[in-house]
Amino acid sequence: MNRQNDLITDILLASVKYADRPSMVIEETTYTYAGLFEKVWSICACIRSVKPNVIGIMAENTVETYASVLAVLFAGKTYVILHPSYPDSRNLQIIRQAGIEVLLHDGSVPVGFARSEGVVCISVSGEAIPVSAEPYYMTHAETDAYIIFTSGSTGEPKGVPISRSNLNAFYRAYSQLGWKLDETDRMLQMFELTFDVSVVSFLYPLTLGACVYTVSSGGLKYLNVLDIMERHSLTFAAVAPSVLRLSRPYFNEISLPALKYLVVTAEASDVNIISEFRRCIPNASVVNLYGPTEATIYCTAYSIPYHDCKHHNGMVAIGRPFHGMEIVITDKEGKPLPSGQTGELWVGGAQVMAGYWKNSQKSAECLVATADGKVYYRTGDLCYQDADGDIFYCGRKDTQVKVQGFRIELAEIEYRVKQYYDNKTNAVVIPLYEEDGHCNLHLVLERPSGDTAALEQFLQNELPPYMLPRRIHFMNSFPLNASSKTDRKKIMQLI
Amino acid sequence: MMNTSEILEQLNCIFRKVLKNDSLVLTETTTAADVDGWDSLTNMQLITEIEKRFVLRFTFREIVKLKNVGDLCSVILSKLKQA
Repeated sequence: MNRQNDLITDILLASVKYADRPSMVIEETTYTYAGLFEKVWSICACIRSVKPNVIGIMAENTVETYASVLAVLFAGKTYVILHPSYPDSRNLQIIRQAGIEVLLHDGSVPVGFARSEGVVCISVSGEAIPVSAEPYYMTHAETDAYIIFTSGSTGEPKGVPISRSNLNAFYRAYSQLGWKLDETDRMLQMFELTFDVSVVSFLYPLTLGACVYTVSSGGLKYLNVLDIMERHSLTFAAVAPSVLRLSRPYFNEISLPALKYLVVTAEASDVNIISEFRRCIPNASVVNLYGPTEATIYCTAYSIPYHDCKHHNGMVAIGRPFHGMEIVITDKEGKPLPSGQTGELWVGGAQVMAGYWKNSQKSAECLVATADGKVYYRTGDLCYQDADGDIFYCGRKDTQVKVQGFRIELAEIEYRVKQYYDNKTNAVVIPLYEEDGHCNLHLVLERPSGDTAALEQFLQNELPPYMLPRRIHFMNSFPLNASSKTDRKKIMQLI
Repeated sequence: MMNTSEILEQLNCIFRKVLKNDSLVLTETTTAADVDGWDSLTNMQLITEIEKRFVLRFTFREIVKLKNVGDLCSVILSKLKQA
């Protein structure tokens, strides 16, 4: 197989060629390719014989977790990430939905909740069992590589299955973006494994024989990110713009001359912050990468110039489609719009998923087949394209928001709040944006003011930390708009 | 000149106010991982409040090196001595 056709094969080739070079640095410990793959083959031997195809992995910032991801991929199976910061109830929802029967964990966090559900929990910590490297088990291209669960408006997370074919289409297109990277590069992986940008941040460097530097998820992450970038002279970093925003007061103290590429992704990037951060990264090219999870990580790219960066209301342009991907911007009836007009962005091509996990209704809503047989994913993002073909993101057509890169359906939070009140209290979640673009979630309840400690505890038990509202407000009655619907804009003005 | 326990007391007030948690009790060994709501975003607000209260300024490197509340007290104490 040719290089840059199959991501897993290329990682295997690199693991042999660069066996003695560093593959990962995790919590200041360096693992060579040989050391990492000793663990991978050991876990692989363990799971290859198990019958279920979908394997759960409890994500921790440890070599065992990363080796587990690789082992599942090398074993020809599908991985689903559970997270220790999620409430047990949410991890259980994912276990049930994905049909997880086997869970790999590193032994550092309790997994009793999964055992009580009948899941076989395998600890992969400790010394690797010596196993001779086995050839990569080629699996059907349509077998899923992973399923990522994202926020769902009905209170249940939605499963986005990405096949090996989707992943390889992404890999080929991403490799064509012109990166000048090789085995000497040091590359950042700052994203939670529940979020798909982690897939490229972790796997792509391993195809090159380069070294991946991970970041602890606990504590003050943005500081850890910049600290690792500076101390280890990283050459490549994909970061959420929040990292830059939160470190803005310290730009005059940060110096990253070794950085060759800065990718900004996961949420809209502020043109001014990028411009100010340039002084910290004098030798780096800056690229904005955009994409919904449903179209495999990223599907458009914009190389941000030093001067005259294209933007819409301060949000950096998202650029042009990846090789092999097509886009169309449509009106409410799904008819293509001419350049300059704003409508919903549809993306099509080999990176687009076949459909949501066991949810044909949601798949039918979001995937559209056109008369010429092409299938597009309706992103829900409102965009327009300029005469050069560059795409500009303008906002959402629904109530989905991003907080520190995490995709959140406001309706899911509202669903849980109403559930707490036995559907007897109306609730809306209002995203309020600060001047620097940071989104704070405010929960507004249609009831007289009262104690909210029990509600807050309930939400902590049901939702991941990033979905918890920052503040709770009360209103005796919600204002209505002309269509007699709850007037969210008016509520936003009143709180 | 303040001592460590007085600084800790002041920090406790600031943390309670910023994190909206009246029952929070900080010790010198408390870390961000121990406190609900002490995350990347609120850390910025905490640092701003601490800088205002003690009339000092932290450098990026000083903030990065802080491992727990005790470290924070030590940096504040050393800056107050220099002032």
